[in-house]
Amino acid sequence: MSDHWRTPRTRTLRSRLTIALVAGTLSTVVAAGALAQMGKSGLIGKLEGPEVVTEPAKQPKTFNEAPQFATLVKAGKLPPVAERVGQDPLVIKPLHEIGKYGGTWRRGFTGPADFWNGYRCCSGPDHLLFWDYTGDKVTPNIAKGYEMQDGGKTLVLHLRRGMKWSDGKPFTADDFVFWFEDIYRNKDLVPTPSAAMAINGKQGVVEKVDTYTVKFKFPEPYYMFPDVLAGSTDVAGQAWRGAFGLGGYAPAHYLKQFHPKYAGQAEVDKKFKEAKFESWVRMFLYKNDWSLNPELPVLSPWKTVTPANTPTWTLERNPYSVFVDTAGNQLPYIDRVVLTLAENLEVINLRAIAGEYDFQARHLDIAKVPVFLENQQKGGYKLYLDPGDYGGDMIIKFNLSYEADPEIAKWMNTADFRRALSLGIDRDQINETFWLGTGTPSSVVPADTNKYNPGPQYRKLWATLDIKKANEMLDKVGLAKKDAEGYRLRTDGKGRLRIEIMTLGGQFVQFTQISEMIREHWKKIGIDLTVQEVERSLAIQRTAANEQQLAAWNNDGSEHLFTFPTHVFPFDTIAVVATSGPLYAKWFQSAGTQGKEPPARMKELMEKFRRAYGVPEKERIQLGKEVWKITAEEVYIIGVIGMGPASMGVRVVKTSMGNIPSRQYNSPDGKTPTISRPVTFFYKSR
Amino acid sequence: MLAYIGRRALLAMFTVWAISVLSFAIIQLPPGDYVTSYIAQMATMGSVVTDEEAQNLRIQYGLGQPIYVQYLKWMRLIVQGNFGTSMEWRRPVTEVIGDRLWMTMVVSVAALFITWVLALPIGIYSAVRQYSVGDYVATLVGFIGLAVPNFLLALVLLYLGFTLFNANIGGLFSVEFQDAPWSLARTWDLLKHLPIPALILGLAGTAQQIRIMRANLLDELRKPYVVTARSKGLPESTVILKYPVRVALNPFASTIGYTLPYIVSGSIIVSIVLGLPTVGPLLLKALIAQDMFLAGTIVLMLGVMTVIGTLISDILLVWIDPRIRLEDT
Repeated sequence: MSDHWRTPRTRTLRSRLTIALVAGTLSTVVAAGALAQMGKSGLIGKLEGPEVVTEPAKQPKTFNEAPQFATLVKAGKLPPVAERVGQDPLVIKPLHEIGKYGGTWRRGFTGPADFWNGYRCCSGPDHLLFWDYTGDKVTPNIAKGYEMQDGGKTLVLHLRRGMKWSDGKPFTADDFVFWFEDIYRNKDLVPTPSAAMAINGKQGVVEKVDTYTVKFKFPEPYYMFPDVLAGSTDVAGQAWRGAFGLGGYAPAHYLKQFHPKYAGQAEVDKKFKEAKFESWVRMFLYKNDWSLNPELPVLSPWKTVTPANTPTWTLERNPYSVFVDTAGNQLPYIDRVVLTLAENLEVINLRAIAGEYDFQARHLDIAKVPVFLENQQKGGYKLYLDPGDYGGDMIIKFNLSYEADPEIAKWMNTADFRRALSLGIDRDQINETFWLGTGTPSSVVPADTNKYNPGPQYRKLWATLDIKKANEMLDKVGLAKKDAEGYRLRTDGKGRLRIEIMTLGGQFVQFTQISEMIREHWKKIGIDLTVQEVERSLAIQRTAANEQQLAAWNNDGSEHLFTFPTHVFPFDTIAVVATSGPLYAKWFQSAGTQGKEPPARMKELMEKFRRAYGVPEKERIQLGKEVWKITAEEVYIIGVIGMGPASMGVRVVKTSMGNIPSRQYNSPDGKTPTISRPVTFFYKSR
Repeated sequence: MLAYIGRRALLAMFTVWAISVLSFAIIQLPPGDYVTSYIAQMATMGSVVTDEEAQNLRIQYGLGQPIYVQYLKWMRLIVQGNFGTSMEWRRPVTEVIGDRLWMTMVVSVAALFITWVLALPIGIYSAVRQYSVGDYVATLVGFIGLAVPNFLLALVLLYLGFTLFNANIGGLFSVEFQDAPWSLARTWDLLKHLPIPALILGLAGTAQQIRIMRANLLDELRKPYVVTARSKGLPESTVILKYPVRVALNPFASTIGYTLPYIVSGSIIVSIVLGLPTVGPLLLKALIAQDMFLAGTIVLMLGVMTVIGTLISDILLVWIDPRIRLEDT
């Protein structure tokens, strides 16, 4: 439908509410002063977290369990704990101490679309492999171990002997074969194969070696595959991807009753009609949805008991959880997790301030940090900040394949123009105003500790404030003529050079307000910026139609360059909220057969990126550094403020909880807080 | 009278059909569809949806079909009493709305009760004692009530409730009672949460109704029949309550048409601010997510309620106001 009549500046309800709430919290401005005194160091602790124990010598020999299970065992209703965790449980060394059983973890969520909320806290994760607490190293998880064979063409996964699904049925190699043959390769369930299961466009296969050994085989070397299993990809476990027919494995013994191959088409048709599903496919995928189907056998430490599409999403401990601590206590320590529905984010923030949540970072607003600090004692909680390792809590993407206005397209494709705009931003002012000084003015490159970081000199490359130089560069590229008000003129004689930035309201970062500030900054370099806040569906449509010029977003996840490249270069052909160039992405994804050919430097970047998947880690790290070098030098994306806690890094934790890290790795790939292993959190006192 | 009602009912059915077409069309107006909004939502949560997945979802939800086909499919479902499955909640629409309908009605009826209990007596008082101190106070309070946006009032009350009384923030139940089966304790918990939303929702309406009641009654009080009644020696209370008040009630009866949908939808903004589990926020979310069946059903429901409400108020008016006569009886 036509959207010309829509006014692009649709202020969201939330921003209006925020304004109203600000009035109520003015009294706490004093606390902001206190924050400034404490400085960053007071709130940002040392990165720490629990560890997975892999040495056989350190495995516990005897096991213990939650009291309610002990009662069930005594009554003969449950097998003994040693049998339930199997011979090779997943041993986790808690951060500080062995905890004790009990308690309910209270959280807030915003409805079924907030799937990530419960998934991030309570899925374990159920990935085959995962990251250590630094987010840098792949470690065993559901799989006990792995090795690359065949020059990187085969990944062998060793499963845990005696491990079970939450209904007590064995978890074996057959669950992988079932997933691969009957779900993944079924064209109705998964119409298009996943890129994660392919190297250079060539699909791999899954084979059973024996009950506890599985092979993922690829036609070409795929050294990246362990990272792919650990990341947020299509083969990253049942909780994350089961509902899409993906995940890498599936409970064969349960799902066969809903699959035509095993139950017969007639039977399955009868079932889906009775249960009022649109098709057997919808029913099957619903049945394999970790957040919606309480009957589903799972591997996660907590399992859904009341689904995410009801007012309260509740999860309870899985009796067959394979997670144990170093003393042999079956994890998790906490009995239940209750996520209560809140209709709006202000209510979540107020409830957090009132101490009604036990551990919550999601949806908490960095602008309210002073209020959180002020109410710490009263609410019985402590505030932590978890800055991300990614270079941009806010970035500005140039649409490099923009075509609608050739003049603007030309400038956006001029490196010095992009660099000059970047030099025209007063990042310190933005950091103080919107991050309360907790972020880092930065280019797009990830934290210095990140393995793909190209070197400390890239942090400030084209990312400082230098108005004089910016003006000189703009003069030099051919934009020297200005109008009476000092704005630079277009070279085609059509008046002032106006560029437009698209923002979304109601996000973790106040993109619109920050863009308004940048608009003021750019006046000093003669650039007229128009800020357009749009509704999110409209944003998607405009990026897909190649109509976006600039767009504000963040690059969270980009610290895992290869498993989350969306915000590094034009990678996704799908509609995203902010794009670096949809036509270039199409060119990249179609190996040059569609879209538009990018300039040489971008092609070089894409080539290095593609090559990295098939080479051993050391070489890959080198290629990763080169990718970041090019992005920083070319400024395809302007980094504004990075390594800040604005996206899900404002964390409120009850003081009664134990094994809480003072700082945790904050990233979508880390499923934060899962990277801190919430199975080891516990209540010291109630 | 029966023929009148019959004709009205027929017309109402046609209106309902028109509403169903309109509501479906309106929901289709914004750019994109449920899948685009789903992609956007996933993106804002730091995750990506692949092209294949998006295509797959569109096929599964039948979003690629022409609008009239989608409409006819929806109509066919409705005729069978099935309002479709909500795309976002992945549950039948009737269940999703049903969860909240009763709570909405509790809140709205409580708010209406407050409105009427306050507005009618105050309105009568300020008309009868025009320009008295009491009238001025009621007028002042009334105007303030009208002028203050009630979402602002809600925010202020929330904040005061939290800082002064350590009250529970938002919602209609404490966490422990959220899913509990009905019991005395749960009812008490609900009653504890009810006053703030009911008061906020009720107050704005109150101010308006006071003004309407006052103005209408003032018109009537000066009419000769009141003087006649008084001169006949009737007690003052009978004079006022029996004749002019009855006439002045007209507007109340005619607003029932709008009151009925209000009872099932509640006030959207206040419900969102206060985090009430009512139908209003559900509608807003459904519209944002372009969850067609859910949004369409709620809009249709509101339309039907308005039509029924109008029908009721037409009949009530005939009954209350003897001056209104049916043309052909």
